Amino acid sequence: MKKLFAFVFLSFALLVTPAFAHHSFAMFDHTRSVTLKGTVAKFQWTNPHAYIELDVAAADGKVSHFTIECTSINMLQRSGWRSTSIKAGDKVSAVVAPLLDGQPGGLLLEVTMPDGKVLDPGVPGAQGYKRSDK
Amino acid sequence: MKNSLQLAGVLAVVLLVQVAVRVGAQQGDRVPDITGSWERLGFGARLTDAQRQFLPPAGGGQPPLKPEPRKEWQARVQAAREADAKGQPLATNATACLPEGMPAMMGATFPIEILQSKGQVTIIEEAYTQVRRILLDRPQKALADVEPGFYGSSVGRWEGDTLVVNTIGVKESVRFQNAPHSPDMKITERMHLVAPDILWNEITIDDPATLEKPWTVTYAYRRNPNYTLLEYVCEDNREYADDQGRQKIRIPAPQK
Repeated sequence: MKKLFAFVFLSFALLVTPAFAHHSFAMFDHTRSVTLKGTVAKFQWTNPHAYIELDVAAADGKVSHFTIECTSINMLQRSGWRSTSIKAGDKVSAVVAPLLDGQPGGLLLEVTMPDGKVLDPGVPGAQGYKRSDK
Repeated sequence: MKNSLQLAGVLAVVLLVQVAVRVGAQQGDRVPDITGSWERLGFGARLTDAQRQFLPPAGGGQPPLKPEPRKEWQARVQAAREADAKGQPLATNATACLPEGMPAMMGATFPIEILQSKGQVTIIEEAYTQVRRILLDRPQKALADVEPGFYGSSVGRWEGDTLVVNTIGVKESVRFQNAPHSPDMKITERMHLVAPDILWNEITIDDPATLEKPWTVTYAYRRNPNYTLLEYVCEDNREYADDQGRQKIRIPAPQK
């Protein structure tokens, strides 16, 4: 079983490798996702990658800060994003693959805007990330 | 009357010059038109059946390295694989926003643009705004006269419908599929249209110091007349290599 898993994983890794040629996303947990509801503190529209800084308030009112990595702004633009797609103050719901090292951050898999519109950052091999919300 | 004859003569000369210029331009333009934006065929978008027939034969798999460099290559690939499996990927040139260089940039992870101008073909890869200049119909420099760089020194010529390009002077830290190479590496590209909007680039790497035999990889590209390359500048790159050579992301310190 372990062997089969290794084979499947390797086949998948080989399959998606070209798309990952620039940057590795191996520091993110591919086996689960976390849904973060919060207020955008900043949308960093830069290369090599864009970032969403998100303030998430817990039930007790305590605010935690998360850094969410997106793809390159070139890939985002080819997927229909603009620098104005997300603004500071927007209340959004972001599904992320969390960082494996425990730091408060993750890779953006999709984000739902206040108007209900869902934006897909076009993560290469996104179908290979297990979604806990689905 | 005399004046109108003179005018007719001047007009005739102007017309003849125009015709001559046009014929000359046509002769000079007789090379295939490969100008435009190109995307790697089979990258991202799903292939149509019509496109599938233009995929080049699968490349030769692993680089045909000699035993010593093969050991180094295997160790590097293995280390990267293990680091990825641990969720601690190794930093690469990309972590520092360094360009891919030759010949990796021709893999067109992002779209490329080819520009044909007098005596030169210029190729731009959108990612990292990589630019290489191929000077046409002139001899290659001596290796000693080329400073090692990411793109090297490229000269080319049209052999019939094929643009043949010779590149030398790629620095050793610039690797293709992780394979080591010597300063003497020579890259030969053969680019030709296999359909009006499908270009093949057969890339052959010669490096007897590290390779058992020449290593050939062929890429196919699809012309996209509706795409204009976007700018790409690394700005406030938050990825970095830590002291153990692992790729990390700079996360703001939690607020107290």
